[in-house]
Amino acid sequence: MRRLLALLLLTLAGLAEAEPTLYLYNWNNYISDETLARFEAHCHCRVKQDYYSDNEEMLAKLEAGAAGYDLIVPTGNAVESLLRRHALRPLDKTKLPHLANLKPEFTDLWFDRGNRFAVPYATSVTLLGYNATRLAELGLPTDSWALIFEPAYLAKIKGRVTVLNSQRELMAAAMRYLGHSVQDTDPAKWDAAKRLILRAKPYWATFSNSTYIKDLAIGNIWVAHGYSNDMFRAQQDAAAARRPFAIGFTTPKEGAVLAVDSFVIHQSGRNPELAHAFIDFMLDGRNAADVSNLIGAGNPNAAATPFLDAAVAGNPAIFPGAQEMKRLEMLRDFDATLRRTLSRMWTEIKVR
Amino acid sequence: MMPGSTSRAESRSHADRATKWAVSLPPSLFLIAFFLLPSLLMVAASFRHPGEFGGLAPLFLDGRLQLTLETYRFFAGDFIYAEIFLRSFVVAGLTTLLCLLLAYPLALLIARSPKRRRDLLVLLVILPFASNFLIRVYAWIMLLGPAGLLYTPFAVIVGMVYVHLPFMILPLYTNLEKHDPALLEAAQDLGAGAWTRFWRITLPLSLPGIWSGTALVFIPVLGMFAVPELLGGTRDILIGNLIKEQFLDNRDWPLGATLSILLTVAVLALAALAARAGRLRGKTS
Repeated sequence: MRRLLALLLLTLAGLAEAEPTLYLYNWNNYISDETLARFEAHCHCRVKQDYYSDNEEMLAKLEAGAAGYDLIVPTGNAVESLLRRHALRPLDKTKLPHLANLKPEFTDLWFDRGNRFAVPYATSVTLLGYNATRLAELGLPTDSWALIFEPAYLAKIKGRVTVLNSQRELMAAAMRYLGHSVQDTDPAKWDAAKRLILRAKPYWATFSNSTYIKDLAIGNIWVAHGYSNDMFRAQQDAAAARRPFAIGFTTPKEGAVLAVDSFVIHQSGRNPELAHAFIDFMLDGRNAADVSNLIGAGNPNAAATPFLDAAVAGNPAIFPGAQEMKRLEMLRDFDATLRRTLSRMWTEIKVR
Repeated sequence: MMPGSTSRAESRSHADRATKWAVSLPPSLFLIAFFLLPSLLMVAASFRHPGEFGGLAPLFLDGRLQLTLETYRFFAGDFIYAEIFLRSFVVAGLTTLLCLLLAYPLALLIARSPKRRRDLLVLLVILPFASNFLIRVYAWIMLLGPAGLLYTPFAVIVGMVYVHLPFMILPLYTNLEKHDPALLEAAQDLGAGAWTRFWRITLPLSLPGIWSGTALVFIPVLGMFAVPELLGGTRDILIGNLIKEQFLDNRDWPLGATLSILLTVAVLALAALAARAGRLRGKTS
């Protein structure tokens, strides 16, 4: 009897789902509920999201057979991987009348010339977020990777620093501090980066990919290596909770990693029509502005500019100017040999 | 001998064998499907080349079989992976010991309390399972953070012991509950003190419970990656984290597979040693 009931409920749930559903595989904290609700009302459909916190995690799950996602939001190097895997559907531009809203510098990026497969949605910089009040008291600089790599500075903030639990991101920060490109393929330079990290590591509290938002906002952590939009969130949270300190974030002067995250349509999705409708909806200036105003990400959409909050639009850590752009690099994939060498170094970093 | 009787005996032994098969088939199938096959897949994967996008490189390329010992050579090439194995075994051993020390008095207390209260106490032991494992670990972040103990090896051990304690209490309790109180009374009548009664009667009788509790704690701790990731600091990764990283972050399935296989082999070897020690003990006593 009970089983029958359960079956009945399931059938009803199935009927309720008869309205079209868009399956979105997205970064956590990367699209606001307000924006989604507006789209659902607009299209008479539902949006279901699954989340990832790292491109590698998303690629690994797709490789292991995760399917059914209409839309994914990968970073440039992951778009490149997916393209080489023939996992993406080409865009039908007749269904994207708002595509012209993209800023010209985002219409011909190296991972997808001419937006044939990917529509840039948001940008973020991997930088340093910090407790501005505390660091001012300690007289520490906030504009250099030296803050997380130099023992002279670290001695004052021992146990109050977190760094990303991401081999590519952390080692890229060390490479920039040493004056190298994040795309350098010389193992000797990477080895120097490893040694720099090992020297600084005893002063760090932990490797963290998401808990640093909360730790920074409540004052447990004073310096965090992480994404600009996460720092924006920590800043807002600390202000909302009326903490006796302010959170700041700055792109280190030695340069940093820039991520351009784009909407792409996956082959395994069952609803490319709806996926196109969603991309075009998000290309509308007012909707595109949300990801900057509410999430704190940079915006590749020119039509969004009039709708941006002045504080967000004027923050160079969110909207890097032309001069800043020169110091930013995007990550690209390495071959399997270098990947294993770096993985070996990463393991050593984790163990020593 | 009459031909009829032989066939009857034969048919009975056939029936016996059939029952034996019927009883042992489901668990055997389960083990084959969920232990043997995955393990064999891992063994196979450990000899393959990593694929460019994760996964594995094609098995046949240019008409040749692509198998390699490279991953094992890479593992043996330096001490660092062995060091993580060693560290994981130390953490697992310590966790198991602490669980045993905490669980034994509690299990004894439950087993010796009045029958109607026992069910309630056992229920209390299982109660934490009602909330999600991750939420309970997050609670420890809240507790340890203000005390300045978060992101330390201490926090990892606390988390491990907390999560696995019920798996030690329950087998100990089921064992201790079955002990015949008459044995203890007889010992007391013969002049044995409380300590002697525990040492010579309760403890030896409870050894099977200790062994199963130990296995239920030690082996899962070896593979656990969530607790060190959430509570541990910059030096606290264990073999579970390393395996997870190879599959999810590093797209190096063969290395992940090799580490899993070596871990499985190490655990099986330990279990075999323990079983052998138990059998030897059984023979001498």
